[in-house]
Amino acid sequence: MKNHTMRQQLVQLGNGAHALATQILGNADDAADAVHDAFAKVLKKPGAYDANNGPLKPWFLRVVRNHCIDLIRRRRPGDSAVEELSEPGPGPQALLETAQRDRGLQLALAKISDRQRQIIVLRDYMDLSYAEIADALEVAPGTVMSRLHRARLALREELARHG
Amino acid sequence: MVNEKRPVDHHLGELLSGFVDGELTQQERQRVTLHCEVCDECRENLTNLRVLRERISNAHLSEVGEDKWRETMNDSSVQTPRSIGWLMFIAGLLAVAGIGLVGFIFSDEIHIGMKLILIAIYGGLATLLYSVLRQRLIERKTDKYKDVEI
Repeated sequence: MKNHTMRQQLVQLGNGAHALATQILGNADDAADAVHDAFAKVLKKPGAYDANNGPLKPWFLRVVRNHCIDLIRRRRPGDSAVEELSEPGPGPQALLETAQRDRGLQLALAKISDRQRQIIVLRDYMDLSYAEIADALEVAPGTVMSRLHRARLALREELARHG
Repeated sequence: MVNEKRPVDHHLGELLSGFVDGELTQQERQRVTLHCEVCDECRENLTNLRVLRERISNAHLSEVGEDKWRETMNDSSVQTPRSIGWLMFIAGLLAVAGIGLVGFIFSDEIHIGMKLILIAIYGGLATLLYSVLRQRLIERKTDKYKDVEI
């Protein structure tokens, strides 16, 4: 894949990758740094991606996810800032209702397990197929449906509490 | 015709998620459809899963725009240091080579024949180096072992 094409595709994947990284790291700023690092890694070695082995999207998300896991391993205890996830940013009044609804969703997401958050974001937010999810999460394709279903049930339970 | 509901032996569980996501086989889809016709609980679960999926897909889980990512990608920390490094290295190399070459060509201490021989040797080496580098670059693009996990 040509570098220019890859860069364009990566730009389009930025938001989804950021959403995934935020769910793993629990902090939007750390997530943005992680996505930035992932861009740098991939652009440094663009040959590491082989289009014959599948689309760029799950491959890049796997790079982001692995980098986030590395960051968590390096973190000191107590560094996690999941609470920041739920802080609504200032916005126009017209967006208040949406922001409140999203806040409820983010609070509920913060309550379920890390793996469950990841699989929900990959499927329902980023619209990856089950095969792509298996690739991104490095799990057996046959387990995606059951994992996802359990994650959705857990999220629905938390949403019932947090709205 | 009476809509007679049959007793439900067991619920569908994860198949409902697969149905919502369009990841089931035709046979499985048919099974879910038929089951939901007689099972209120699974029908309600199916609706809830659809609502949940729509809510997540419409949510704003990341507020960063594409422009920001484009900017990030072009960020100096990603590209500039490497470009500057290469530029400085090549400029220095060319300067040293140029000074050496001028000194060598205009030197009165070296016989013209010797100059031609040395130019042939170093010119040949440079050509060989170029061909090897070119071959390596072509191989790199088609190397089946290049898919190294980052």
